[in-house]
Amino acid sequence: MKGRDGLICLVEEIHGSEEKQKQWQKEGKLVQNPSLVAELLCRQSASASASASEQVQKNKEVESMNPKPNTEISIPEADTRPEGERMLRAATQHGFDAFEWAAKERGSVYHSLSLRSRVGFSRLQRQKLKKMQIEGIVTQQPTMGSLKRKSPEEPSTSSSLPLHDCVHHVSYPPGYTHPSSPPTQTHAEPAKKFPFTLDPFQSQAITCLENGESVMVSAHTSAGKTVVASYAIAMSLRDGQRVIYTSPIKALSNQKYREFKEEFSDVGLMTGDVTIDPNASCLVMTTEIWRSMQYKGSEITREVAWIVFDEVHYMRDRERGVVWEESIVLSPKNSRFVFLSATVPNAKEFADWVAKVHKQPCHVVYTDYRPTPLQHYIFPSGGDGLYLVVDDKGKFREDSFQKSLNALVPTTEGDKKKENGKRQKGLIMGRVGEESDIFKMVKMIIQRQYDPVILFSFSKRECELLAMQMAKMDLNGDQEKDNIEQIFNSAMDMLSDDDKKLPQARYFLNSVSNMLPLLKRGIGVHHSGLLPILKEVIEILFQEGLIKCLFATETFSIGLNMPAKTVVFTNVRKFDGDKFRWISSGEYIQMSGRAGRRGIDDRGICILMVDEKMEPSTAKNMVKGAADSLNSAFHLSYNTILNQMRCEDGDPEKLIRNSFFQFQADRAIPDLEKQIKLLEKERESIVIEEENSLKDYFNLLEQHRSLNKEVRDIVLSPRHCLPFLQPGRLVSLDCTSSDEDLTPVFIEDQLTWGLVINFERVKSVSDDDASVKPEDASYNVDVLTRCVVKKDKIGKKSIKIVPLKEVGEPLVVSVPISQVNTISSLRLFIPKDLLPLEARENTLKKVLETLSRFGEKGLPLLDPEEDMKIQSNSYKKASRRIEALESLFEKHEIAKSPLIKQKLKVFQRKQELTAKIKSIKKTLRSSTTLAFKDELKARKRVLRRLGYATSDNVVELKGKVACEISSADELTLTELMFNGVFKDIKVEEMVSLLSCFVWQEKIHDGAKPREELDLLFMQLQDTARRVAQLQLECKVEIDVESFVKSFRPDIMEAVYAWAKGSKFYEIMEITQVFEGSLIRAIRRLEEVLQQLIAAAKSIGETQLEAKFEEAVSMIKRDIVFAASLYL
Amino acid sequence: MRGIQLPLSKTQKVRLQKTLEQLESLSSKVNSDASVIIADSIPVNHEDGVLKGHGTADLNGEVVATLCGVVERVNKLVYVRALRSRYKPEVGDIVIGRVAEVAQKRWRLDINFNQDAVLMLSSMNMPDGVQRRRTALDELNMRCIFEENDVVCAEVRGFQHDGLHLQARSRKYGKLNRGQLLTVPPYLVKRQKQHFHHLEEFGVDLILGCNGFIWVGEHIEAKDDMVEDQVSQSDPQVLLHNSASLEEQEKNYTILDIRKYICRAANAVRVLSVLGFNITLEIIKGIIDLSLSMNLDIHEMLGSEFCVLVAEKEAERRSSNKKKR
Repeated sequence: MKGRDGLICLVEEIHGSEEKQKQWQKEGKLVQNPSLVAELLCRQSASASASASEQVQKNKEVESMNPKPNTEISIPEADTRPEGERMLRAATQHGFDAFEWAAKERGSVYHSLSLRSRVGFSRLQRQKLKKMQIEGIVTQQPTMGSLKRKSPEEPSTSSSLPLHDCVHHVSYPPGYTHPSSPPTQTHAEPAKKFPFTLDPFQSQAITCLENGESVMVSAHTSAGKTVVASYAIAMSLRDGQRVIYTSPIKALSNQKYREFKEEFSDVGLMTGDVTIDPNASCLVMTTEIWRSMQYKGSEITREVAWIVFDEVHYMRDRERGVVWEESIVLSPKNSRFVFLSATVPNAKEFADWVAKVHKQPCHVVYTDYRPTPLQHYIFPSGGDGLYLVVDDKGKFREDSFQKSLNALVPTTEGDKKKENGKRQKGLIMGRVGEESDIFKMVKMIIQRQYDPVILFSFSKRECELLAMQMAKMDLNGDQEKDNIEQIFNSAMDMLSDDDKKLPQARYFLNSVSNMLPLLKRGIGVHHSGLLPILKEVIEILFQEGLIKCLFATETFSIGLNMPAKTVVFTNVRKFDGDKFRWISSGEYIQMSGRAGRRGIDDRGICILMVDEKMEPSTAKNMVKGAADSLNSAFHLSYNTILNQMRCEDGDPEKLIRNSFFQFQADRAIPDLEKQIKLLEKERESIVIEEENSLKDYFNLLEQHRSLNKEVRDIVLSPRHCLPFLQPGRLVSLDCTSSDEDLTPVFIEDQLTWGLVINFERVKSVSDDDASVKPEDASYNVDVLTRCVVKKDKIGKKSIKIVPLKEVGEPLVVSVPISQVNTISSLRLFIPKDLLPLEARENTLKKVLETLSRFGEKGLPLLDPEEDMKIQSNSYKKASRRIEALESLFEKHEIAKSPLIKQKLKVFQRKQELTAKIKSIKKTLRSSTTLAFKDELKARKRVLRRLGYATSDNVVELKGKVACEISSADELTLTELMFNGVFKDIKVEEMVSLLSCFVWQEKIHDGAKPREELDLLFMQLQDTARRVAQLQLECKVEIDVESFVKSFRPDIMEAVYAWAKGSKFYEIMEITQVFEGSLIRAIRRLEEVLQQLIAAAKSIGETQLEAKFEEAVSMIKRDIVFAASLYL
Repeated sequence: MRGIQLPLSKTQKVRLQKTLEQLESLSSKVNSDASVIIADSIPVNHEDGVLKGHGTADLNGEVVATLCGVVERVNKLVYVRALRSRYKPEVGDIVIGRVAEVAQKRWRLDINFNQDAVLMLSSMNMPDGVQRRRTALDELNMRCIFEENDVVCAEVRGFQHDGLHLQARSRKYGKLNRGQLLTVPPYLVKRQKQHFHHLEEFGVDLILGCNGFIWVGEHIEAKDDMVEDQVSQSDPQVLLHNSASLEEQEKNYTILDIRKYICRAANAVRVLSVLGFNITLEIIKGIIDLSLSMNLDIHEMLGSEFCVLVAEKEAERRSSNKKKR
């Protein structure tokens, strides 16, 4: 194995360079910037590694001992594939693609798919299948061969793979001196050998691990970060240390547990739901569990040498991100970390923070590399083809991008009226006599053999609706169908007979019996509303390649490697709690990362279905934009504060000081200070004579201006001006000023004239039109005037209105009413057809003519009082004051100064600088003080007032109870408990009441629960209101009503019935929620109950404790707590 | 006289009596009528649910005290706080214990609770600061860390299936050397934010264990465990050097002055214990200062005169505190 040796050599070489580096550092202060040196060295070693890996590649080729499992030799439709490819290539050359044509040529039904036999089985699944086989479930295995499908670390078959760079930094804590002697334990033998050549970033990261230093790996999902994690595990096991692997999601933990268990065997799992072998050396857990372990001081914290944080970019999650931050801060100081993250631009900053908090060097290994390059296409809705916008070299294609957007415009405008408010109509229903877009899309994908495909949409319902449209399609052959059925049925055997039927499930797909036919046709749905078991079966089937077309929500984009060849975005907007927004480039990167299977596809395909007017820059940003940076979402919770206060060394302030939030704030300080200095210098350099009187004059001008604006606002309010905005009306407009941030106050605004063509109401996205009165809505006026159209580099068209006499095109532009300056009393005749350029040019000429006729005086304007009949008091007042001001101007001496204009300009500049300095100083002040200082104070006040802690920060009895509760609102729940609410009610009622704490989804017309439950709920609301009110009094920022409303009674009835012992299908009849959501809620409820048991124990209330325990036993049964298939 | 056993002269007796009366009048009387003895029924409003906490039981529909003590109420929760009892551990308490037994992977510690507490080997930081699983060898070497009768400081971690568990979160927990262990009734030590104290002016460490075990010893520089460990972990030579110097230090005597201060502080605690006053840092400091200003010898601190004086001072302090409020 020459390759093996090469790798070792490489590792040693890197070792060597590391040592050299240390040597340098020891020798003197020559090296000012250690990280720079490291970077340089890294480059050196990276190039070394590159050559080494090349060597390895060559060796392999010579020896040809690598069976290259992924070359598509055995695929029967190998002949058809190139055709598809060719077509695509041809199409992309033209920038657009007529797939319809292709469809006709090749016949529309796709048969050959069924012949596919490239069903590879990963070890995991093979094992599973074996188990099933033993149990007599699966009788015949599909061709297994050596074909491996799911294996991210597979060597790429294409030897022409471009060697990619990775960036390597090291962050040293301030004042850190590198240990003088080299690490004692250099193992010649790596802890784990991989059957393939490591990518540079992988070997780089592993070198860091071997040196016993923390590392942050930032790379795309598909790049193979898991290699680093599994090496860390192997290394810890070798050294007899414990290692912890945390992931953000329970399901992911389950999967990872399975994966590691196969490999290392000494692996345990801890999630809120299950605990398996907690004494194992390698523990897989959710981050929440790890945090609570640290609070409680588990012995594991003293044995863990390595902690792997997977998907650490979750730290920016608004709600849960703080868990990561706390876990990292609280982690034992002697342990080392492996952070795996999606690409984040500020990985270095993160590493600096870790280095500072833990006083240890932290490496950053960053790579942009994708093993399979991506091509991005746009599919305009209602359009008929794909447009390649980013090719696999990462080049953005301006021309075809424009074309795609042009293809979109007519369709949206044509149906604007019809589709009002139902944007998705075209997507789902399709126009009469046509297939829906999504159907066309899938058909095309199948024809081109771009499958398997994942289609992302942003709502569970949409996801299902789209899947239902595929009902006509059949993508699987008989054998595959059999396999699916067997796998499916054997999985479902875990369920009881009642659950298996789930006959009247509200959602078609969730009824177990209805799902199968769809799956058998190769179509799947994956979202959080599914039964967990169904979700897992679908995941398994997808990994097996038995599902060709998967409709999924965003949740599918994180976690285990489940790539497809193609990813489709059925929508480009998502609802994020309170409004629709464009998906961010970071989200786009994450989701598109699912495209392209390493070693199988030579490139991944990413299709964006654009279905509404989209700013080109938005689209470009989305497709080409940078990854989201990792920003702290730190916030304080009472549970955190109490847990910190409770322990002798703990101090919430210390936690805040160590938080990433504080770190980021502190970092900005030097920069801000520099800014202030610069600005102050600039301000001082401006010297003005007679500054005081100038200031006076300036203020007068300001006043005059604001009054004028006031008047204008009144005159131009839609109520007043709409009747006069007939076509042909001459209006004056503000020219679009060139630099928008600096509008000189003193210069008369540049005005131009134009003709009104039409006006229309601006549609606001969120509120429905009926609720807004016509007077209150905002309007846009279409005006014919002279414009300059410019295109900037990204292809964003910017239209600038210029004075009539200047060079430009006559165009009809839509401007908001506020941009209209005055309305004249004249109307001109406009020709019927304005489309030809001459017609417009002529009309503008007429306007010019009219203007010149009136000459100096200017056009007669509509008189607000006489013509427009404006009689509001505010108008009269304002106009009187304007008159008064104007007379003051006359008297002002400085007005006569010849240089007044320049002077004013300078003065304004000075004013602006002052304002800027002030605002920067403010931010500076807020960042120098401890972040959250006031909030911490306020929250401590709350805790004191409620009797949770004393003024000496000693936690009292109630505080100890609240310490135990981390899965629900700790204050409200503790108050409820101490008010004896749980004491006298029945267990079912109690469970039902507790369900309000764990249910967060909003349901619009949820039925009210029955009276006794409603009564309880009202009690809860009262308590919550009291708690919120108190917090408000203590100056915690909180919206009382929305806090109260955050407790939702929607699933009370269902949970009540569940606790009563109803079957799952019975409770699904009661409520309208998704099965999966309900199951998750009940599982979380059990978590809360467990915490309550601990709480009751700590106050010595045995009866209550018994009651909670009974509650647990009542809800913990059947399908809701069915074990994961991965376990 | 609350059972204070001191050989008092007549005047001292009168003075003490007076002081105690004064103290009593100063104490808040909120709960004075709530003291119960066993089987007393506790008046509660049964209409809206009552939570029966520690020291209570249900007897024929009545809430009955199972302890002698004071009834405490928090919202709807009713519990009895025992006046004098053994130590009752709570999670997060700082306790001091004496090693009773070295057992399988654990030490058993006497912490004045009704059962021995367990300190697992894995709940201790390894002396070399390395994070790793404990091996059989570590188990054999357990006596290198703690032997029987060593005095150990730890934090209460919680009740596990096999008893009360302790843990040592950081380096400041662990074996206590060169000092005195005093035992006082646990109720005299109130829970506070800080239980570790360093009396800088005397070079003395004071640890007020919640279990009524109080440690007064020579000050040991709190090592910044992070930096220290880094050195020790990466450089065995430094480690060796360190341990050598530790041994050296061990041989070194604690200097006489500090030993005197240790005794003084210990006697201050003893005085407070005899008088039955709460033991806090502030009061201990006050007593030491008092004894120094009076130029008392250490042994004289335990005399009746000084006790009475301390009681008077305390009464003075409390009343002035009260006035301030």
